[in-house]
Amino acid sequence: MSGGDRTRLWTGLAFISPWIVGFLLFTVYPVAASLYYSFCDYDVLSRPIWVGLLNYQDMVTDEVYWKSLNNTLVFSAISLPLGLCFALALALLLNRPVGGRGVFRAIYYLPSLVPAVAAGAVWLWMLNTRDGLINQGLLSLGVSRPPQWLDEPQWTKPGLALVAIWGCGNTVVILLAALQGVPRTLLEAATIDGASAWRRLWHVVIPAISPVIYFNFIVGVIGALQTFATVFVMFTNGGPDRSALFYAVYLYESAFESRQMGYACAMAWVLFLLTLLLTWLASRSTRGFVHYSAE
Amino acid sequence: MKPFAKIFTYAALVIGAVVFLLPLLWMLSTALKPVEQTSVQPPIWLPRRYYIDEGQVRREVKLGAVISIPSVWAVPVGSTTPVVLPASDVHDGQWITTGGRSTPVQVRSQIPATPDAPWREVIDTAKGDRSIVSIDRIVGRFAPRWENFANAIKVMQHFWRYLGNTVLLCVLNVVGMVLSSALVAYGFSRIEWRGRETLFGVLLGTMMIPFPVVMVPLYSMFRSLGWIGTLRPLWVTSLFAGAFNVFLLRQFFRTLPKELSEAARIDGCGELRIFWQIILPLCRPALVVVGLFTFLGTWNDFLGPLIYLTDQRDFTLALALKSMQQKSGLTDWHYLMAASTLIILPIVALFIVAQRHFVEGIAVTGSKN
Amino acid sequence: MSALVSLRTLVFALVLSATASAASGDRSGRVVINYWEKWSGFEAEAMQAIIDDFNRSQERIEVRMLSISPIDTKLMLAASGGNPPDVAGLWEYSIPDFAEKGALLPLDEALAEAGLGAEHYVPSYWELCRHRGFTWALPSTPGCVALFYNKRLFREVGLNPDQPPRTFAEVEAMSRRLTRVELERNGRRVRISFDELTVPERQSGKYSIVQIGHQPADAGMFVSAWGFWFGAKYYDGDRRILADDAGNLAAFRWLRETMTTYGVDQLKNFGASFGQSQSAVSPFLAGKGAMVVQGPWYPNFIEKYAPDLEWGVTPFPAAPGVADNAPMTLIIADMLVIPRGAKHPREAFEFLRYTQQREVAEKLARLQRKFTALREVSPEFIATHPNPANRLFSELSRSPNARAVPKLSIWRDYDIEMSVAALNVRYLLKTPEQALAEVQKRVSWRFDRVMRRWDVVGDERLAEWRDHERW
Repeated sequence: MSGGDRTRLWTGLAFISPWIVGFLLFTVYPVAASLYYSFCDYDVLSRPIWVGLLNYQDMVTDEVYWKSLNNTLVFSAISLPLGLCFALALALLLNRPVGGRGVFRAIYYLPSLVPAVAAGAVWLWMLNTRDGLINQGLLSLGVSRPPQWLDEPQWTKPGLALVAIWGCGNTVVILLAALQGVPRTLLEAATIDGASAWRRLWHVVIPAISPVIYFNFIVGVIGALQTFATVFVMFTNGGPDRSALFYAVYLYESAFESRQMGYACAMAWVLFLLTLLLTWLASRSTRGFVHYSAE
Repeated sequence: MKPFAKIFTYAALVIGAVVFLLPLLWMLSTALKPVEQTSVQPPIWLPRRYYIDEGQVRREVKLGAVISIPSVWAVPVGSTTPVVLPASDVHDGQWITTGGRSTPVQVRSQIPATPDAPWREVIDTAKGDRSIVSIDRIVGRFAPRWENFANAIKVMQHFWRYLGNTVLLCVLNVVGMVLSSALVAYGFSRIEWRGRETLFGVLLGTMMIPFPVVMVPLYSMFRSLGWIGTLRPLWVTSLFAGAFNVFLLRQFFRTLPKELSEAARIDGCGELRIFWQIILPLCRPALVVVGLFTFLGTWNDFLGPLIYLTDQRDFTLALALKSMQQKSGLTDWHYLMAASTLIILPIVALFIVAQRHFVEGIAVTGSKN
Repeated sequence: MSALVSLRTLVFALVLSATASAASGDRSGRVVINYWEKWSGFEAEAMQAIIDDFNRSQERIEVRMLSISPIDTKLMLAASGGNPPDVAGLWEYSIPDFAEKGALLPLDEALAEAGLGAEHYVPSYWELCRHRGFTWALPSTPGCVALFYNKRLFREVGLNPDQPPRTFAEVEAMSRRLTRVELERNGRRVRISFDELTVPERQSGKYSIVQIGHQPADAGMFVSAWGFWFGAKYYDGDRRILADDAGNLAAFRWLRETMTTYGVDQLKNFGASFGQSQSAVSPFLAGKGAMVVQGPWYPNFIEKYAPDLEWGVTPFPAAPGVADNAPMTLIIADMLVIPRGAKHPREAFEFLRYTQQREVAEKLARLQRKFTALREVSPEFIATHPNPANRLFSELSRSPNARAVPKLSIWRDYDIEMSVAALNVRYLLKTPEQALAEVQKRVSWRFDRVMRRWDVVGDERLAEWRDHERW
């Protein structure tokens, strides 16, 4: 290594030193400690007691744990496709040459900025069985017994899906950017071949942006696995029959309310592995996309 | 575009916009209502005050139940509160229920209400006494209750402290995050050294670690530092750069020509000076994006304050909103919505001012990832 | 550059102000005792009056109170964070949990020194202060529950307002009479008592409830304790959870029956317009609920939200054969504790001790309209007490059938499981058997984990508690 190389190495390391320190303190150590605690019975107040695989074994038989995982995945299965379709429709509309697009884009984007706690409070009020705006609307449309969004187990997740779809402005902007990246030549070629607008959409536009859609879907599942504040604000004890108990909420409750920190760490590690799996899937999907846009 | 397609596009965009704005408008509308107007069917959008014209005098009233059948305004013997009874159930001062029991009542007046010309129970706001009037004597005027905001602030108890804490955390996080991330991004982009790409790969990898994984050990670490119950855990970490922000800034730094640094190096400038005097000023837009997202992240953070803060006076606004909701037990919707409005408003204002940066930042997130 | 410099100073200033923690010494050189209390409103004001007296009564210690909600979570966070207040006000059911986790200081030695002990307290309340052979808390104000009823509503449906229900069956019958419904009958809208509905009308469900007699789930805080009124045990005192015993099963069947009788949707619709039990829009305070189970604090809320309400109070009768000799009640208490890690435990105890003096306890009780946990009170206290129900509550709390929730460190979780199960039963999502079997399974699982831990650290803990030098 030459002198210049060495100087540059040290300068480079000096510049990134804040991250290195943070990485060791706030990532490496906690991740390792979390793995260790997951094999322990730990309540913070007294020393961790090694229990081997017990936490993981307990997790397998813990029905509430499975319920929380199931709730999270069912919620994703409802909210993500709906949200993506909705966002795609809006992005396609915004991609047309009409005036005032900036204003519309701003309006669609705004709800995704609303603090999760406030969104929870607002939607608690929107979804109120008797006085909520949604049910008032349904009543006036002639629905005689509108859903009890917050009281009936089968309706809590659809209710939360509404909240999630409301916050899909983020996705709209991302999809819009992707749409604008669809090569013009492709579209023109399709038009010359006499493809209708509908066919162009199905056979050119959607395939072109499908990696982005897929990517957003997986990022959405990862996000759902960590959804906390909105659900926590809207439901106590996980809502009716724990139908709105999400993974992250159960994890928080285990750690900080029933003080089973070791058990919570085991749950966190499973969450980590799930996230890794999903990220791997997502990266496989974007590989195609990167290749495409490099053409 | 064909005119039809254009109209359709506009219509769809407008409907979409209304749907997106509805919850926020409903929140604002509720925040400006008196409590009894929050739960009326069908819902009203504009808060009102109601009056009854009595010649020269105009009395303000609150609305009670609607009466749409001929009824009697009567006081059951032994009670002091008058009640509305169906006229057909009252005969000769006896109130005969459908079950056949009878209770003596003192009839005050007859109410000739019909489904087409209903009457209404009203409560005088000043004196609190009830009376029954024909519905067309009641006049409603638009009147927002701005005082709800002041009251919500009072209900939240230490509102100004929450605001102060939140702003303090936002400033510390934004400054810390922007500076540290820029430094690190510089090291990852403008200086060539061995192992750079490998380490950068590690940095990107850390983005995949969900917060819950590190939550418990971090808590336990801050506890041994004696930091639980202080604001420190909520801002100190931002001094050590955030992976995503480093990534974002690095993308930007890389677009600047190498010659810029080379020339300065030949002039004898140190790296720190190049960073500070040449690169940073050129990267203002990217720094603004990082700052904005950090600000939002801090303003909206809930889980962090929930875990680390113990003393009510140290709460942030987001946490205080939750504890207000717990206390009010979901009945004072107007206050809860007023408080929500207060928390959302600064975000909306910021968004309007800095819209362009937001959208650019988001577009980078989605496509370059 | 100057902008950057000023930015730097700003950051500095902010960091300084952020890190400058509240100094624990006072200007006057007094020892400052931080006291966290769950109370807010008039109950907090009452305690503040006591604190003011205390601060004036001596010159060494100054107590500062702060309202904290929710207290259990926040105190546990602070205790595990190593930065707890010096005194805290907990509910009695949290004591075993906090004690076993090592979050409290045992008071026995200090109590012995101060000459305070079992002989000063009503036995049932003294028992609440103790766990695993140590004393952890002193009561600030005690409570128990009884049935409040609205005399005017009794009169309106032809019931004698001076003869509240004395048996369980009477509660049920009166509730059906006092529940008022509206429906279309022969083409017009009528309002009648629930027991006046014909069978087809009841089955059609086409009525709406406008007033309720009694609903077991009205006061959410007691829903898991109804089992006591049916003879439930909850816990065998050793290693077994008894969530699904006959008593709880009977209680849950009753919960279900109430819902099926009055109609699930009808009750939900009626309930949707009401909030918590202690706000102006709870059914009872709005004059739309005839009976409600509440404690000695309730007249304060009546006075605040419904000053014209004409009420009476009576013990809530137990199911037949459960408590025939004496009235049944659930006792609860607000407790003062000293968290482990408190900076000034000695001074904190000074304050605790002050609150236990008869005149002080009586003053606090009077301001909060409650009674005291002390065995002896002054004759004036009883004679001039502002709460007309005080005597009843005070006597009720000494009944041999006064029950308290089991001393389980996991009671909070037990309570949550019971509440979840109760909701499932009330919404007819699960049968009482299913719901309670789930509670039994889950709480036993939780308890096994806790006991397994205790088997390992228990001796260590007990040794720690016996080691009085920490004080």
